[in-house]
Amino acid sequence: MKKNVIYWIGVVNPDHNDKYGNFDYFEYSKNTWKHFCKRFDCHFVELNKPIEDDLFKFRINWQKALFVFDELEKRNIEYDQIALVDSSCMYKWDAPNFFDLTERKFVGWRDVDNMRWTNDSIVGYKDMFNGFELDRTKYINSGFIIFNELHKDFFQSFKKLYYDNVDKFCELQDKIVKKGTEQTPLNYWLQINNIELKTDLPIAFKLTHLHRKQMFGYNWQLNEDKTPFVIKYGYNWIFNGLPKHERPQIMKQLWDYVKHNYSTDILDTTVHKDTHKFTTSKEFKKDILKYFGNGYKDKTLIELGCCQGTTTKIYAECFSKVIGVDIDSWNIEQAKKNCINNSNVEFIQQDLYNSEWNFPQADVIVIDAGHTYEHIIKDVPKIKEYFNNPIIIIDDYGNPNQTIRKGIDELIKNKIITIKHKIGANSGFKTATGLVFNDMEGIICKS
Amino acid sequence: MKNIIFIMDIDLGGEGRFSSSRRAPYKFSINSWKHWAKNNNSEVFILNDLLMPYKDMGICWQRYYLFDILEANNIEYDQIAMVDADTIIHPNCPNFFEMTEGKFTGVHCDASYDWVCRSIENYSKYMFNGHSMPFWEYIDCGFMVVNKSHKEFFNNIINFYHENKFNFDELEKLHVGTDQTPVNILANKLNIDLKLLPYEYNMVDLPRKELLGEDLLFTKCGWIYQYNCIPNNKDNQATYYWMEKTYKHLYEN
Repeated sequence: MKKNVIYWIGVVNPDHNDKYGNFDYFEYSKNTWKHFCKRFDCHFVELNKPIEDDLFKFRINWQKALFVFDELEKRNIEYDQIALVDSSCMYKWDAPNFFDLTERKFVGWRDVDNMRWTNDSIVGYKDMFNGFELDRTKYINSGFIIFNELHKDFFQSFKKLYYDNVDKFCELQDKIVKKGTEQTPLNYWLQINNIELKTDLPIAFKLTHLHRKQMFGYNWQLNEDKTPFVIKYGYNWIFNGLPKHERPQIMKQLWDYVKHNYSTDILDTTVHKDTHKFTTSKEFKKDILKYFGNGYKDKTLIELGCCQGTTTKIYAECFSKVIGVDIDSWNIEQAKKNCINNSNVEFIQQDLYNSEWNFPQADVIVIDAGHTYEHIIKDVPKIKEYFNNPIIIIDDYGNPNQTIRKGIDELIKNKIITIKHKIGANSGFKTATGLVFNDMEGIICKS
Repeated sequence: MKNIIFIMDIDLGGEGRFSSSRRAPYKFSINSWKHWAKNNNSEVFILNDLLMPYKDMGICWQRYYLFDILEANNIEYDQIAMVDADTIIHPNCPNFFEMTEGKFTGVHCDASYDWVCRSIENYSKYMFNGHSMPFWEYIDCGFMVVNKSHKEFFNNIINFYHENKFNFDELEKLHVGTDQTPVNILANKLNIDLKLLPYEYNMVDLPRKELLGEDLLFTKCGWIYQYNCIPNNKDNQATYYWMEKTYKHLYEN
């Protein structure tokens, strides 16, 4: 069956390992595009080996365009539309499907970042194309373009043009113009052949030169959300126009920031205590999933002190209804974002210690609010009475900086609660802030 | 009926946005537009006087009385291009009035997105109850084309300003623009049909594009140049230098 294709270009050239940081960034790019293909039922087709071995005469940037249709057909791929994607691109996990917006035209995005560069390139190749007057308002970047089988003849003629003039192109590319590879010739060829171009899709789909656009910052004036603008507003992040040796590190930083959004494993969709302060460990979440499993799907859990909702979304997997409560409005706002896909979660902003409780009945209560001896010895009896002896989960039992454990041990001694399970990270676990647990992270108690 | 090029050229004296030093190079802008207008069935209208004291209404905001001003001056018009006086148009610039499709027309502000995004977010929060807009539809208000059908839109802008004047005065202290962002968000909120022209029709932030140099390369790459975001621009001397140089290159050679 015909499907849209992501034709992803990632050929390692060992001669350039130093320049490109061993090409480690390929993996980050590829992960995002595979995720796209899964979301929108597309073929992921990878060009990871050169078709022509002479990489001086046939740069990969040329090969990606010259052989795209040959490769798809050689691999028996039934293609509809094709997006040709460089490995310097990363696609946002929840961005829209651009294939729906193409009107089945040849789609590209304007290249107006370094216009001196584009000017020099356009002027440099002009004679090669018999003085053709290029319409600069239609000059596109070739790192991300979309086309379909209607454009097969165009690409085949482009291939013939290159083979017929390979030495001349190489000379211009490497010795005379020295501004790009196939991009400007492709632009000339598109316009000479009157290919109808669609260039008006939002630039969020092709955010190039991110540093030049100043998109790595956040709104420090409101200081409410520190998500960099590029992640917040961009769909397709393209790491070009920067020193090539910096690309792997910058792409890694961005990938580390967003990678949890790409996983289908629920544990990979949230952050954990080894890298983030206000959450629980991965082991804690894993134990919650294991302990409660599918046996509590008709029950309600209330999390007192839900913080930013990073564990709340795990509880949401096990219970029919989850209510998160926190004193801090910023935390509640973040929690709502983190649980945006969990329709069974509700959040309440409330000071638990200076307001009247008006919660519905619940079967399981998480206590992660006041983190002191004084809090815990009052919280547990109050919860037992208010919720009619629920199961109680208590976090930070093994936290060496707090006196929660002293309170719990006293409650156990006085037979107010009994520990059913210790859960989460073991003694010796080091948190993101450098704390080392001196017992297991949390406990599940029975009244 | 002719199309109109509407330019504000106000001299308040003293320091600031509309000081004499800042407006010194505006003559190059106005002359370039007059030249272009002559060849493109258009007329230039210069507004030299404020309608009311700037303490009652910010200077940039007063231009949205555009339709009242033209009608009070018995000027018949078809479309109107409102352009900033720090722009210069190339004599061979294609007639953009023919590209508008009768819509509210501008050019996307392809400059510092840090500034654009902060500006949208700040105004969205403090002035529009969280209503926002896509950053890729955000235009630079130094070049806008409108027609009679946009009278109501401009009245909405004026009313919105007067109803929220105190908040505007406070927000301007954050240095994320004056009228530009509210006008953009209002256009979005009121579903004003927007036509975007290519960057070449309002080339803002030329240094960021690596175009501002002694070779005046930008004059070969596009049509309308806006001399903003120029570094080391004490007393607007750099603006004067580049506008004079461009004008002489295009119109006196």
